[in-house]
Amino acid sequence: MFERFTKGARAVVHTAVSEAKASGQSSVEAEHLLLALATSPELRSLGLDREQLAEALVEEERRSLSAVGLSAENHQQHQSASREPRFGASAKLALQRGVKLAQLRGGRRFRPRDLLAGVLAAEHGRVPLALDLAGIDVDELRARI
Amino acid sequence: MVVQSIEVPEDPADALAAVGALRRLADRVEGAAVSQAISDGWTWAQIAEALGVTRQAVHKKHARRVETARD
Repeated sequence: MFERFTKGARAVVHTAVSEAKASGQSSVEAEHLLLALATSPELRSLGLDREQLAEALVEEERRSLSAVGLSAENHQQHQSASREPRFGASAKLALQRGVKLAQLRGGRRFRPRDLLAGVLAAEHGRVPLALDLAGIDVDELRARI
Repeated sequence: MVVQSIEVPEDPADALAAVGALRRLADRVEGAAVSQAISDGWTWAQIAEALGVTRQAVHKKHARRVETARD
């Protein structure tokens, strides 16, 4: 699957694995791809801010837990993750969608912006929730990719 | 961490997001608990029994990290 990835896209996947490990999660999810994409030099012009997105993810978690009556004030994380994290369902879906969108575009190579398009295609899950909390207009961002 | 009471949000989007957050939280607690148990001398079989999963499952999930941490 990765053979058509550009060097930049491979670097994003690599960074996403590090993001997953640093978060203490046992799988790489779409939100880790999003954080990694925010630091991709090729996408600098989009103005994504990794710190802002990371804070939005923390806020999403806080809100989601408080919705079931849990408050995690001193949300003390994270021992470093177990084993090499595997790709979780949301990251796989983002990759599949990105590849499909790249094919529709007729592109031979899979670039970071194709991966971002795949990540932004999610209607549900932590990525759209965090983007919303960060005040990012997804349609507008998609149009600029 | 304060548990007021478990309530299920009416909006399914909120309820499902909460399930995801709880799973991630459980994952982190499990990692810490297994490390603690191993350093206290528990066997993988004992940990598995306490967690209610197979020994293979718990070993596969945690052995590498725990062993790396001990080095």
